[in-house]
Amino acid sequence: MTEAVLTPGADLPESSGTTQAAGGFSLARGLNALREEMDAPVASFFSSCVHCGLCATACPFFVETGDPKYTPIHKLEPMRILWEQEFTFWGKLKGVLREKLPLDKLGLDKHFAGKQVTDEMLAEWEPLLYDSCTMCGRCSMVCPVGNDIQYMIRKAREGQVASGHSPEGLVAASVRAVNTGSPMGLKWKTLDVQIRHVEQSTGLEVPIDKQGADYLVLLSSMEIINFPEYLEALTKIFAHAGVSWTLSQQCFEATNAGIQIGSKDIAAVLVQRVVDAAEALDVKNVISPECGHAYTAIRWEGPNAIKRAYPFKVFHIIEVLDQLRADGRIKTEGREDDRLSLHDPCNLARKSGVIQQQRNLMDLVAENFVDLKEHGKMQWCCGAGGGVSSNERAEALKLAAFKKKKAQIEEVEPDRMVTMCATCRTQLEEGLEEFTMDIPVIGLTELIADHLVESDEGTHA
Amino acid sequence: MVTASPHRPDGRPAPARQATLGESLRRNGVSRRGFLKFCAATASMMALPPSMAPAIAAALESARRPSVIWLSFQECTGCTESLTRSFSPTVENLILDTISLDYHHTLQAAAGDAAEHAREAAMHANAGEYLVVVDGSLPGPGANPGYSTIAGISNYDMLMETVADAAAVIAVGSCAAFGGLPKASPNPSGAVAVQDLVKDKPVINVSGCPPLPMVITGVLAQYLTFGKLPELDQYNRPLAFFGQSIHDRCYRRPFYDKGLFAETFDDEGAKKGWCLYRLGCKGPMTYNACATMKWNGGTSWPVEAGAPCLGCSEPDFWDAGGFYDALSVPPGNSGDMLLAAGAAGVAVGAGVGLLARSQAKGAAKQHQTVTAEELEQKL
Repeated sequence: MTEAVLTPGADLPESSGTTQAAGGFSLARGLNALREEMDAPVASFFSSCVHCGLCATACPFFVETGDPKYTPIHKLEPMRILWEQEFTFWGKLKGVLREKLPLDKLGLDKHFAGKQVTDEMLAEWEPLLYDSCTMCGRCSMVCPVGNDIQYMIRKAREGQVASGHSPEGLVAASVRAVNTGSPMGLKWKTLDVQIRHVEQSTGLEVPIDKQGADYLVLLSSMEIINFPEYLEALTKIFAHAGVSWTLSQQCFEATNAGIQIGSKDIAAVLVQRVVDAAEALDVKNVISPECGHAYTAIRWEGPNAIKRAYPFKVFHIIEVLDQLRADGRIKTEGREDDRLSLHDPCNLARKSGVIQQQRNLMDLVAENFVDLKEHGKMQWCCGAGGGVSSNERAEALKLAAFKKKKAQIEEVEPDRMVTMCATCRTQLEEGLEEFTMDIPVIGLTELIADHLVESDEGTHA
Repeated sequence: MVTASPHRPDGRPAPARQATLGESLRRNGVSRRGFLKFCAATASMMALPPSMAPAIAAALESARRPSVIWLSFQECTGCTESLTRSFSPTVENLILDTISLDYHHTLQAAAGDAAEHAREAAMHANAGEYLVVVDGSLPGPGANPGYSTIAGISNYDMLMETVADAAAVIAVGSCAAFGGLPKASPNPSGAVAVQDLVKDKPVINVSGCPPLPMVITGVLAQYLTFGKLPELDQYNRPLAFFGQSIHDRCYRRPFYDKGLFAETFDDEGAKKGWCLYRLGCKGPMTYNACATMKWNGGTSWPVEAGAPCLGCSEPDFWDAGGFYDALSVPPGNSGDMLLAAGAAGVAVGAGVGLLARSQAKGAAKQHQTVTAEELEQKL
């Protein structure tokens, strides 16, 4: 299934000498990509920014480093300059005057000298747009004039990709995702080994390629490698609740490196695979795993990327579990009595409004649940999302941004943290270990599976 | 801790002429704590960082009493009243007591020739260093000088002679700063402001009718501390005090923002303390510190007392229409014009929007698809 799109300019000039022009990427192509992204919201956002700096106070990267270059709106400076010069009346007028009038002779040149977006500038902004932004969207929430800053960051990354200024880690992940089907290079046979293992330990069948199933289950590579307990937990819960579900050999990967690197072309290729697999099996619903961006990629960006509506619905696993709970299909026994707290993934809570569901599920199995002070739509990002965790250069910043989460956790002193995103979970585990805080992190799906009432009926599905 | 003793450690009385401001203040019963509070307040009023308060204190402590010559021309003595009777005793007053006020014909006991000799003596003794404070406007060079004379000397001659060797001139009150009431139409005495005549010395305008006492002392304190005059706005007023409009600092501003206005002085809105804009408040065009510093020791200020701001610190406020006429009221039947203007605006906006959209669409046509192969070449 390598439907790699052919390059229009197959006879691209050799990128021999130039360092950044590899693969036909160039400043001109980058600027064109930015122009494509200038829509009505972007224009109104740039023209309504009042430079109040409130977005800085909402950003964990600024808050923890205190460096003003991490002010969210500043990360968009190249895009803003291009907008001002080419999409505003005064900017265009200045441009015309610059060309037509002998400004230097009139001594006016410095009044009309607009800053140009150069290749160097895009190179300088690469770390600002990728290393110091998880697209968590907290800045968009606090902007007093309602500017959706993370929406623009996502767009600005299109220009970075097309100009050849995107981080190596994300480029490699995108290439692997398209070429192998997984950003981490996993193939079906790796998953197959795990499926056997799950079937052995649970005595349950993991359905594969079942035509007409209610739910197509997707996974993230991170889960397959680091958290195999997720698939086991899900198999148990669905058997318990009698859910009709299936995996697909055609496509098992939910994550979307194209969304993270900021390429709608790559994103569309990856979303199309999910859609093709779901349509081939004629499923009614697709379940995104315990992963934040995979959910927003398929649920929100996907139809725009492939430019058509889906014939199925998309849910995050937590939404499905809460619906099963509400329908009385999940019966649990016993409750955890240690102090548990919850980390809301940005993509799930702030960007998708899934906030109450995980709390309903916690109530089911936790005796002693305590919320972090700022949670739900105003929660603080773990610091690893939006491609930061795939970008080795951002390692130090990622840890710096985690300090905000750490401070939040220290405030309520939980015994364990619960979350529902593999990237958040990895970041929490690594961060807490770095600061030698002995707080284990678990996935919510596993926690639910641990408390299922043992049923003597065996498998339903 | 320095004691408030007027004596030196050896018991001899300190010589009065050599006393520094600090010593002099303590002799007048001002505690060091009160003095430091004044310095901190001055620093914040002048928009200086808090770390400057000790610097102000140190400079003021050791400052020698500067010689000040105060000239009163066509005025009502309200400015002097404001300064000396505002509320007492205050550090501000005492600072003024401690400057060497060598000539002030309203306050001094001497009169006639004796008084004028005092002025001339101060000018000679402190040539190039003394400050001249002026309150009141004066008949210009082309006007009949007989409208205002002192000891037979015309205001114009006295000002020019006194200013010749001064370090700087502080025009206190709207009359001295901008001409004020005497200059109001039809200006029978040909009155002009100090800055119209003094061109070769720095002129600082402390406008207001009368000005806030703290502003006068603030300018003096800054001069004593840094040896230079404060940053000024386009009307030569100290920015620290005149940098923001009454409207922007008004505690009734939230009512303005909500569109809640008093329509008469005794309606429900007036009783509820709503915005006085429609009763003629000139707050939006008036720059002064009344809203933050208030009057009479912080007791109240005109808007708090229910009176619209008259705009007394702005040039020619007497002739700026009625005190109780709202600043701008939409003229007559403006509905149609507004509609037309709105429609034109929408059309232009839509046009510009379409242009921008076509630009973005044009860019989309030139889009080159990003592929994994291309990305791979980068690795």
